[in-house]
Amino acid sequence: MLSIKNLHACVEEKQILNGLNLEIKAGEVHAIMGPNGSGKSTLSQVLAGNEAFDVTKGEVTFNGDNLLDLATEERAREGIFLAFQYPVEIPGVSNLQFLRTSVNAMRKHHGIEEMNAAEFMKLAKEVSKQVDLDPAFLKRGVNEGFSGGEKKRNEVMQALLLQPKLAILDETDSGLDIDALKVVADGVNALRAPDRSILMITHYQRLLDHIVPDYVHVLSEGKIIKSGGPELALELEAKGYGWLGIEDQVAANHE
Amino acid sequence: MATTDEEVRELIKREYEHGFVTEIESDTFEPGLNEDVIRRLSDLKQEPEFMLEWRLKAYRRWLEMEEPEWAHVDYPQVKFDDISYYSAPKRPEDMPQSLDEVDPELLKTYEKLGIPLHERAKLAGVAVDAVFDSVSVATTFKEPLEKAGVIFCPISEALQKHPELVKKYLGSVVPVADNYYAALNSAVFSDGSFVYIPKGVRCPLELSTYFRINAANTGQFERTLIIADAGSYVSYLEGCTAPMRDENQLHAAVVELVLLDDAQIKYSTVQNWYPGDETGKGGIYNFVTKRAACIGKNSKVSWTQVETGSAITWKYPSCILRGDNSVGEFYSVALTHNYQQADTGTKMIHIGKNTSSTVISKGISAGRSSNAYRGLVKFNPGAEGARNFTQCDSLLIGDRCGAHTFPYIESKNKSAIVEHEATTSKVSDEQMFLCRQRGIEPEQAVSMIVNGFCKEVFKELPMEFAVEAGKLLEVSLEGSVG
Amino acid sequence: MKSASTLSSAFLQPAGQALPAALLALRFDRASALANLILPTRRTENWKYSAKHLKLTDDMASTLPMNASAEAAADNLGYTVVMVNGVVRPEASNYPTLEGLSIQRFSDLNEKDATLAADLLSNSISDQPAKSGSVNLSQLNGARFEDGLLIQLQPGTVLDQPLFLIHHTTASHSGSAYPCILVAAGNNSQLTVVEDYVSSGDSCVMVNTTTEFSLGDGANVTSVRLNTEGQTVQHMGTTGVRQQRSSRFESHSVGFGGTLRRHDLHVRLEGEGAECKLNGVVVTQSTQHYDNHTTIEHVAANCNSEETYRNIAADKSHAVFNGRIHIHQDAQKSNANMSNKNLLLTSGAEIDTKPELEIYADDVLCAHGATIGQLDKESIFYLVSRGLNPRDAKVLLTMAFINELVDQIPVEQVRDTAHTGLNQFFDQAFQEV
Repeated sequence: MLSIKNLHACVEEKQILNGLNLEIKAGEVHAIMGPNGSGKSTLSQVLAGNEAFDVTKGEVTFNGDNLLDLATEERAREGIFLAFQYPVEIPGVSNLQFLRTSVNAMRKHHGIEEMNAAEFMKLAKEVSKQVDLDPAFLKRGVNEGFSGGEKKRNEVMQALLLQPKLAILDETDSGLDIDALKVVADGVNALRAPDRSILMITHYQRLLDHIVPDYVHVLSEGKIIKSGGPELALELEAKGYGWLGIEDQVAANHE
Repeated sequence: MATTDEEVRELIKREYEHGFVTEIESDTFEPGLNEDVIRRLSDLKQEPEFMLEWRLKAYRRWLEMEEPEWAHVDYPQVKFDDISYYSAPKRPEDMPQSLDEVDPELLKTYEKLGIPLHERAKLAGVAVDAVFDSVSVATTFKEPLEKAGVIFCPISEALQKHPELVKKYLGSVVPVADNYYAALNSAVFSDGSFVYIPKGVRCPLELSTYFRINAANTGQFERTLIIADAGSYVSYLEGCTAPMRDENQLHAAVVELVLLDDAQIKYSTVQNWYPGDETGKGGIYNFVTKRAACIGKNSKVSWTQVETGSAITWKYPSCILRGDNSVGEFYSVALTHNYQQADTGTKMIHIGKNTSSTVISKGISAGRSSNAYRGLVKFNPGAEGARNFTQCDSLLIGDRCGAHTFPYIESKNKSAIVEHEATTSKVSDEQMFLCRQRGIEPEQAVSMIVNGFCKEVFKELPMEFAVEAGKLLEVSLEGSVG
Repeated sequence: MKSASTLSSAFLQPAGQALPAALLALRFDRASALANLILPTRRTENWKYSAKHLKLTDDMASTLPMNASAEAAADNLGYTVVMVNGVVRPEASNYPTLEGLSIQRFSDLNEKDATLAADLLSNSISDQPAKSGSVNLSQLNGARFEDGLLIQLQPGTVLDQPLFLIHHTTASHSGSAYPCILVAAGNNSQLTVVEDYVSSGDSCVMVNTTTEFSLGDGANVTSVRLNTEGQTVQHMGTTGVRQQRSSRFESHSVGFGGTLRRHDLHVRLEGEGAECKLNGVVVTQSTQHYDNHTTIEHVAANCNSEETYRNIAADKSHAVFNGRIHIHQDAQKSNANMSNKNLLLTSGAEIDTKPELEIYADDVLCAHGATIGQLDKESIFYLVSRGLNPRDAKVLLTMAFINELVDQIPVEQVRDTAHTGLNQFFDQAFQEV
């Protein structure tokens, strides 16, 4: 489904990704772990097409097409979804209006009839319950005044609504208490399907207790330095990043 | 992410929708202004003698006045002698008595504009007065209004039928020599709407006037006078369009609102005069004086405006809060694009006790335009317990435009409270990225974000206007992305 | 309409000639340029609220005595320069001696330094052609200064204590004085200057000042302005500041005296990464009229500005604030914040405020806020719930409203003077409330 070869990327002339390789097949769940500054978030932004990042070398194909040729919104319509680490607020635009515009943009692209307000309202209410969000929040501005946990649940809810082919979850577990983590994890597990892949980016192992990945990769200085199964995450948890010769103060201090 | 700006710039590029010219025979005065022109005009309208005197007085004062220069706008001097001060569709001697008598060409024009003049008006439940160039051509729904005692007619007609009301209130809010353009308007206004809502009456329909400048080289000087008697209520809507012409055309209107005890007026404007082309050629100079006098206690006036048109806008709908506990509100969206210039805002003059006012202004600048908020909040010594809240937000789209805020706040009363806040921002790269990552076109994203920015104002508009305003914003922003 | 009146020619005649040629030439040019100056009226935008308080009678035109006796500066101030009626008096001063720092009076300048002083003056922001509809009375200083100070810091020079510039005006008879201060702070130099304006006597006089700061890359300058002149003084001052890359300028102004006080503070952030912080404390009583006009121009990208002015007006006094933030087209990533809060203690007093934004760049964060007449209700409630009566609670909060800024003044002696003055002000003001 997704194939990344020798990817190099930089932001404001600072090199972040240094020859990253990754293959994700349909139905697989991959977790990328690594210390702060290793390039995890950059990878997710580059895949989603954030133009603040420049790809300087390498290639990315998505279902055989050259992903890097596509504009951000085209990638989204082809099925790439990014759950943001820090979702931005859009004052005055209601969540409902935003989501319907998004869902209809996708539907239009795929030649499916657009949903009217009533139909969409019904669907959105159902999905919001799935991530334990009060449907009243649909009327509030996009991310406006949402708590950290609400923002994260809102992101997962959007993934459920849009049914992407590849869901990239950027630190969707950060800042969540254990109950909220469970809700988010249930949402993500509900996304698992044979024709859908998931790429989880996380700093800590705890999310992986709830969403068990097929593969775990360790990212350091913009490259994957070790790959393995779910046991790799546990080993990292026990031994710390230092075990792989990587410095990570945050991990050392965590919880 | 520089690309957002580029996208934003690329996106703004649809043409002005209302730019057609109607082929219709018109009676038009020769260009130029002098006392004879005013006499001819007054004579043509068969005005009472006091009106001619009033006009001449205004004209003489106007001659002594100087064009204001303080606004943050820049334009070549208006050549007042090149303008024709009267143009009217040619038609039989008498005014049409019903819509059936109106020139079908004209009706077609209004249909093109989407104005519900005919049967559609009934469905919309809106009574419309349509002003074409200098004269009022049709007023709908006269009967149900008359039944309620509401007078809604062209001001020229009111001068014939209700001279005592006109004489009492005309110029009572905006004196003839209030300012340069108000004086000019007082001298030469050709028509406009007149509304009187009797005591205790809640006007059964939304009242609406559509203004249209059609003829070339003419100015439009309409005059609107609305009197809300004690305990009455009216919602009044105003819309305007003009053809695309290369030369600038002058529109200098005066609107006066009078509110007696417990009266309420909601005045909404969607201003979409031709803004000029993308190089800044042509467009309407919109120099307008709008003012409401809350004479009565507990009266409330609310100005809501969506300003997207005109090459230059110079407009400050104001509230004189004289009656105790009276309330003034101003909700404004002003969008400028290409080479448009807007200097707009409000004045809230607090005279009575416990008067309160709210100002919400949303300015959006794109292209090479300039958009300024200018406002005055003033508390006289007697304005015990008066309050104002002002919020001015500016949004910039692209780096060649300007957004300015010039608020004047003056207080002479120790118990008066003012809170004024202003912010300036742009459509952020992060917002654009979030929208695009969710599959939304950049142009649609900008329009959605801008609409969200204006939400507090749009929610003050009557429903059908809110929809129109949203669309208008979208059209006006075209080509601003990219 | 009344025809416009022009500045009386009596105001364009300096007394002495003991100045270097470059400065004499500049002074002559200024005087010629002012010959047709139209005096401001209430229609003059930047004098809208103050024109009617301006009084320029011919008897005020003459230069106040240049040889009046000078009292030595108080020891506890440390480094001092005393000026009397705009003339530097070294014998009463205590100059710091520090390598890299030179303090010279205009009459002592050699040709090179005189040219530098003339350049600083002619490049001064206050001298730039006034915007249409505005009148620049500070230009009068350029036409009339009899002496002045050129303070130069070589790169890296750091003065360890504040330098007090004590301006004494003798108001034993009518006249005017024109103090002029130029500060050229080299790269990475540091300096704190206190301009302390005092007066004696009770005739009507005008003090018309110019202060120019030029900050090199990384320079760090703090300017404190203290006015404690008598009730017959009209004070008109202009401060111009030009800031280069990564420099920092801080300004604190506080004052009590005078009848009309007008201060124009204009900061230009010309180098990337420069920042400024402007604080102002204004309390007015009896029939005083204070008018603060500030302009912050963001010319270069990535600059920060922060401005906080607070006014309290009592009795029949009048306080005006006009703050303008101007973001130029190339000044992307500008950050500008302005706050102006006001309290009216009586209904005979008046407050006028005009916080302006003029913005030509899109990637900026700018905000301004202005309030009149608001004390935090929750704070009042809190104090009352602790047993204070509501009046005392308001007095306490009103004092806190202003002390918050006074406490930020980084010079102890000025803070002390300010607290003393404020206590007197509040004692009187609250007697009548």
